[in-house]
Amino acid sequence: MGLFIASLLRRTVGFALIWWIAAEGSLVAWPLAVIAVAASVAVSLRLLPPGKASAISVIGLAGFLGYFIRQSMLGGFQVARLALQRRPQLHPAILAVPLTLPQGLPRMLLTGTLGLMPGTLGVRLEDEFLHMHVLDRGMPITEEVEQLAAHIARLFGVQR
Amino acid sequence: MKSLELPLALFLLINLAAALIRATRGPTAADRMLAALLFGSTGVGILVLLAFVQRSFALIDVALTLALLAAISGIAFAQRTWGLTGRSRQRRAVEREDDHAFR
Amino acid sequence: MLFVELLSNLLLLTGGFFYLAGTVGLLRFPDVYTRLHTLSKADNLGLGCLLAGLALKADSLVLALKLLAIWPLTLIASAVVGYAIAHRADRLGIPAWQREKP
Repeated sequence: MGLFIASLLRRTVGFALIWWIAAEGSLVAWPLAVIAVAASVAVSLRLLPPGKASAISVIGLAGFLGYFIRQSMLGGFQVARLALQRRPQLHPAILAVPLTLPQGLPRMLLTGTLGLMPGTLGVRLEDEFLHMHVLDRGMPITEEVEQLAAHIARLFGVQR
Repeated sequence: MKSLELPLALFLLINLAAALIRATRGPTAADRMLAALLFGSTGVGILVLLAFVQRSFALIDVALTLALLAAISGIAFAQRTWGLTGRSRQRRAVEREDDHAFR
Repeated sequence: MLFVELLSNLLLLTGGFFYLAGTVGLLRFPDVYTRLHTLSKADNLGLGCLLAGLALKADSLVLALKLLAIWPLTLIASAVVGYAIAHRADRLGIPAWQREKP
């Protein structure tokens, strides 16, 4: 019961914050805001019951976001450099790496974020392997995937 | 340096046009699907710049809605290709049908 | 104040540069996979710089937050759509481009 109330409060604050940003701080339509926030909280509690969502750790999230933003900037720089080179130094290949994360959201997040990171793009999730397209075979791809997987495992608090 | 936004918006429009022409030329169907990505990033960029050019910040709401729709429709569109469930054989059968329709 | 203005313009120009790099990559790269790389990485970084630059020019904090809220949404969109397109290209049997051996 304590868990339920805590997550009810957290989500109410979260959705109220989203409303506040979307309405640019204006409180003119506050009755509408109350209805919208209440409905959003009800739907979210229905679709994602408390307990599952509380497994996400705040420290893990901060670590993941920091790593992700740094890496996606590197990815942008790398691709810009390749595009503007006189003769693009592309050495593409499709590689398969073994997956250590559990099925579901963790794997989906891994595949999605890899597409925004330097030189990698998920192509196919199959059984226990992720097939990806890489821009440069010479890059330490496996290490990058491992690092990202470690951040995601910490985010969800799962064992690998 | 006051009005950097308008030239930049025009510049993005030229980028979008060039990229769209490239994407529609193919050669494969997958190339043409790149157009869906272009509106998500370049289209939203043009909208937020125009919001500042005209000082009409309702355009930011338009950009936010476009980005939200791009994310939601992208997820809906991609859902059947994600390896979420263990039923990969069934998924492959669905995809074979799709491929047939897609060609 | 001048410093903020300068930083904002610098971010806007950087954003424009990444959009340009994305378009050049799209025009020059040899196959659909490599083109996907440019679109999902360069263009998103361009938009991120653009939004950050404009957020510095916003009249209020809440407007700046609203601008920045757009970025994660487009990131989600291009991550999932990028994967879906690459997956479909793979299903269609499109091979990854390779440099010919001399």
